[in-house]
Amino acid sequence: MIIDINFIGLIIASIMASAVPLILASCGELITERSGVLNLGVEGMMIIGAISGFALMTVTGSLIIAIFGAMLAGVLISTIFAFLTQTLITNHVATGLALTIFGIGISAMIGKNFVGIPGKEFPVFFEGLKDTIPLLGPILFGHSIVFYFAFALPFITSYFLKKTKIGLIVRAVGDSPESASNQGINVRLVRYACILYGGAMSGLAGAYLSMIYTPQWIENMTGGRGWIALALVVFSTWNPIKILIGAMIFGGLTIIQFHMQAIGVRIPVQFLTALPYIVTIIVLVVISRDSRKIRLSTPSSLGKSFHKDN
Amino acid sequence: MNTNLKISNVTKIYPGCIANDNVSLEFNSGKIYALLGENGAGKSTLVKILSGVIIPDEGKIYLNENNLKLNSPLDAKKNDIGMVFQHFNLFETLSVFENLIIDSDEHRESLREKIDTIMKKYNFSIDLNIPVLNLSAGQKQKVEIIRCLIRSPKVLIMDEPTSVLTEQETSELFLSLKKFSEEGILIIYITHKLKEVMQLCDEVAVMRRGKLVSVSEIKNENIESLANKMVGQNLKTIKKKKAKTSSDQLIKIANLNFTSEDPFETNLIDINFSVNRGECLGIAGISGNGQSELFQVLSGEIISEKNSIEFNNNYIGDLNPQERREYLMAFSPEDRLEQAAIPQMKIFENVALNNFKSSNFFNNGLINENKIKEHSKKIISDFNVNTDNIELKSQFLSGGNLQKLIIGRELITSPDLLICFNPTWGLDVGAINYIHETLIKINEQNKSIILISTDTDELLKLSDKISVIHKGKLSKIMNAEEVTSEKLGILMGGAN
Repeated sequence: MIIDINFIGLIIASIMASAVPLILASCGELITERSGVLNLGVEGMMIIGAISGFALMTVTGSLIIAIFGAMLAGVLISTIFAFLTQTLITNHVATGLALTIFGIGISAMIGKNFVGIPGKEFPVFFEGLKDTIPLLGPILFGHSIVFYFAFALPFITSYFLKKTKIGLIVRAVGDSPESASNQGINVRLVRYACILYGGAMSGLAGAYLSMIYTPQWIENMTGGRGWIALALVVFSTWNPIKILIGAMIFGGLTIIQFHMQAIGVRIPVQFLTALPYIVTIIVLVVISRDSRKIRLSTPSSLGKSFHKDN
Repeated sequence: MNTNLKISNVTKIYPGCIANDNVSLEFNSGKIYALLGENGAGKSTLVKILSGVIIPDEGKIYLNENNLKLNSPLDAKKNDIGMVFQHFNLFETLSVFENLIIDSDEHRESLREKIDTIMKKYNFSIDLNIPVLNLSAGQKQKVEIIRCLIRSPKVLIMDEPTSVLTEQETSELFLSLKKFSEEGILIIYITHKLKEVMQLCDEVAVMRRGKLVSVSEIKNENIESLANKMVGQNLKTIKKKKAKTSSDQLIKIANLNFTSEDPFETNLIDINFSVNRGECLGIAGISGNGQSELFQVLSGEIISEKNSIEFNNNYIGDLNPQERREYLMAFSPEDRLEQAAIPQMKIFENVALNNFKSSNFFNNGLINENKIKEHSKKIISDFNVNTDNIELKSQFLSGGNLQKLIIGRELITSPDLLICFNPTWGLDVGAINYIHETLIKINEQNKSIILISTDTDELLKLSDKISVIHKGKLSKIMNAEEVTSEKLGILMGGAN
């Protein structure tokens, strides 16, 4: 059997597509965590984004409204989290968990009327160029705008954190909110902004799932991707480029294990399904072993409430 | 240009205490001012008001006749008031350069030039590209100072700047401060160390319990007069009698090594020493040179090889702290609220925590509360802890009282050896005196002390023998009479 080189390209492209929501949500959460806030509500914000995007698309018929609406929905639900943890100084972990439970519940409620409705086709770019280059053609061309954005995002995030003034302030707040506050930085404002940004990215990740990846609404359709995104942030040691690697490995193994199941490889299905989770974590642990670097990139105040006293 | 800073009738009240009670002061540039007072006298509150961190309940601040509204640290900076806090306001994981530029709106390159000029002018040498956590305390302080200088301040406030510095670093700092003063920056120097005031300052304001007690020129004062003003009573000076030379060895550490997995801890290399009965061995060093690891190894928080520690003719290197206590060792760790006591627990509960077997505090697994309370009351009265409420949570005790309680708890079992780590860190003169007296008394009862401390004066006062720890290695052990603080300073800096 001769394997068509374009077929390999297609498999790689499908792996990349499955990595998109992970990259988006992880990069958003990374900014949140770099400011010292641990938001465990990613799964909840994602599924809110998924239903909002799908519902708005069905109701208004406009894809642009749907995409931005989904991001706005993520922002709104993360505002609840920000208000609770930053203004009312509640515990980050408990509040984040509540947010996820809330998100899953309310999305199921809103989504009832949207089950079984077919989605719309999402416009893709450079469709015609797909066959011009072997292998690379299907990888590079014929994807949605969100896809391209997702693969640029880790690099943008990295640049933002390292090279810009605001990125520096975000890192400073995550390192020591007390010092930042004494330097005249408005810690609460910075953290609010980072939480809302994380919400927007999770919302976008959800919308990608319900509008582009599998254009339909299924209850609980994020299927734990929010948790994987959270794990990616930690195991990548808050490094956006490693998030990209982790997301690709996870996406790749998910796709490959499907194919292996289909071919009938004699490995228990449960093991195959668990494989992406295990391997992703092992790989990220191995590439992030330098404890000095971990110390430098870990936000020291992660998950700790900051209360300015007078 | 002449700078005039005026504090007028400033009052700040916290629930249960008046931190600043109607304080008025005036400063003029060209002089170095000392703000002197014990812990809790209100000097930190006052400078936090000047730097905009705390907003006063009443009172006004004038800089060159302009009434300043200091509602945030940013306001203070905009009004040319620079402040170096006792606890550094640095971002450990960011690079030195990033730390320096974070509060400035100027362009990176022009800032880099400015920083280079400042560093050259004052002879500071710090690598701008390494993360701050790799710097020594003295270097960190320089980073803080540069950060203030970038904004060319009119006023520079230093809050207890020498508490983390070596002798050499301290004299370097003093030189820089004098230079700044000559260049017209008004310097306000906050401290409770009398010697430094005499060395550095031109004028001194003394605070006690939130009130301004006196303002005077240094040339009219001496150490005793300032100490009495600060404490409000006449202090007796304590001195240690020369110990009887005993050759009865109590503890011996032989070839002790400790390699840490944490890259931010210090490894201990080939530690050897012994302490005789009735002796105090002082271990000097700049903090972060292995003191904390050495304390943990000695106390059993870190287990070592069985034969590496011989105590009273038993090998105890592999025992945990509780088991070591059974052999009559006692410990007073550095961090009073984190390691020595549990902040949220009541005084008597904390007293019970280190006395399991050798006491009758517990019957068949039940707590004998009456017995513990009785015992706690005895400690409180014997060791002069200034409270009569043993139900009080430990976190509400002042540092001095908590330290007395901890030392009392350890000593009431009459141990043969007390190991203490910075026992008077952050305490006021009265409490320090009391702790020192207590430690001298222990030696007089023919019991031994290992005193790990970063305070050289304290070590010279209390020790019979002194060694210096540098990068996890101990220097040779010297007789205390042969040692001067200059000599210790050189050894602490790593020279031979």
